[in-house]
Amino acid sequence: MLSSVSRKLILIAAMAVVFGLFAASLIDLASLYNDATKDYFFEHGFEETGSNNLVTGILLDYRLFDSLFEAGILLVAVSGVIWVSKHDFADKNPNFMIDKYKTPDLFISFARLVYPLLLAFGLYIILNGHLSPGGGFQGGALAATAILILYFIDKNKETDIKRIVTIEKVLYLAIILVALLSLFTRSTAFTNFVAPAAGRQWQVVYLVTLNVLIGLKVAFGLWTIFTAFLKEGR
Amino acid sequence: MDPLLTFIVILVGFYGLATSNNIIKSVFCITIIESGIILLFLNLGNFEGGTIPIIGEDVVAIVDPLPQALMITTIVIGSTVTALALMLCIKLFHHYGSIEWSKIFGKGDAS
Repeated sequence: MLSSVSRKLILIAAMAVVFGLFAASLIDLASLYNDATKDYFFEHGFEETGSNNLVTGILLDYRLFDSLFEAGILLVAVSGVIWVSKHDFADKNPNFMIDKYKTPDLFISFARLVYPLLLAFGLYIILNGHLSPGGGFQGGALAATAILILYFIDKNKETDIKRIVTIEKVLYLAIILVALLSLFTRSTAFTNFVAPAAGRQWQVVYLVTLNVLIGLKVAFGLWTIFTAFLKEGR
Repeated sequence: MDPLLTFIVILVGFYGLATSNNIIKSVFCITIIESGIILLFLNLGNFEGGTIPIIGEDVVAIVDPLPQALMITTIVIGSTVTALALMLCIKLFHHYGSIEWSKIFGKGDAS
């Protein structure tokens, strides 16, 4: 049995070897990474997706298949959190971990001020995802944070976790259906159902629709996760 | 040079994962590894003088939008995996009365 110091020395030596391998791989960086995709997106991205923000264009058009599974992993993780937490859904009046008498009054007052601003900012990020930095995932996380603040304001707030998860599943199905619409209009799945020839104002309809659906789904998913944590802390 | 620095962040995470005895510390070491990977990917598309990848007037040089789009996936998946891992920590604490690897595996060697 080695002592703990010598074990740590062996670990550091092994990590130095891994670091050396990584540094050696960087010598041939040009074969690992080049600017070809960047130039393509810069020249054709705006015409093909109708999105000023190229990241949103990639997420919702070129790589929509990835984004679908990203949202799916969020759904699976939410299901896992609920399944692991042994909360009884019949319990209608849970005592939340946040105790109003231990939360400072100053925090509650400022939370009342910040809550509507944060919710409005989340909606702004979602709706302007194709014009400015942001999109469905980021705006959904902001809106979920605003809902978390709501628990600090009102201690007796009750959440029907089962209904939220049902809404989230319906939203996920709606995202898949909107993504599959292009199968009927352009005969290729998982892209914009409006052809680029129709003009940018119609392409934006698709982008905003999908951003809103993804944003609502992410917000409901994160809401479910932290409600499960609050109920676990009883 | 920058990719090497981000790789050091990843290795710091691995070192903590191998040596920490507390489960919550292990979860946060996974988060540190994730941060290192995000920095590594964002470094690849970045260059001096590049602007954000939003098409507008007089935009001449943008950074690569593809690694940024991939890293949104990483951030979302990372946050959910962290939430699941912390929920499992709570369950382990309720079952074993401890969140230390050495006590859960029944070994006295708390190094």
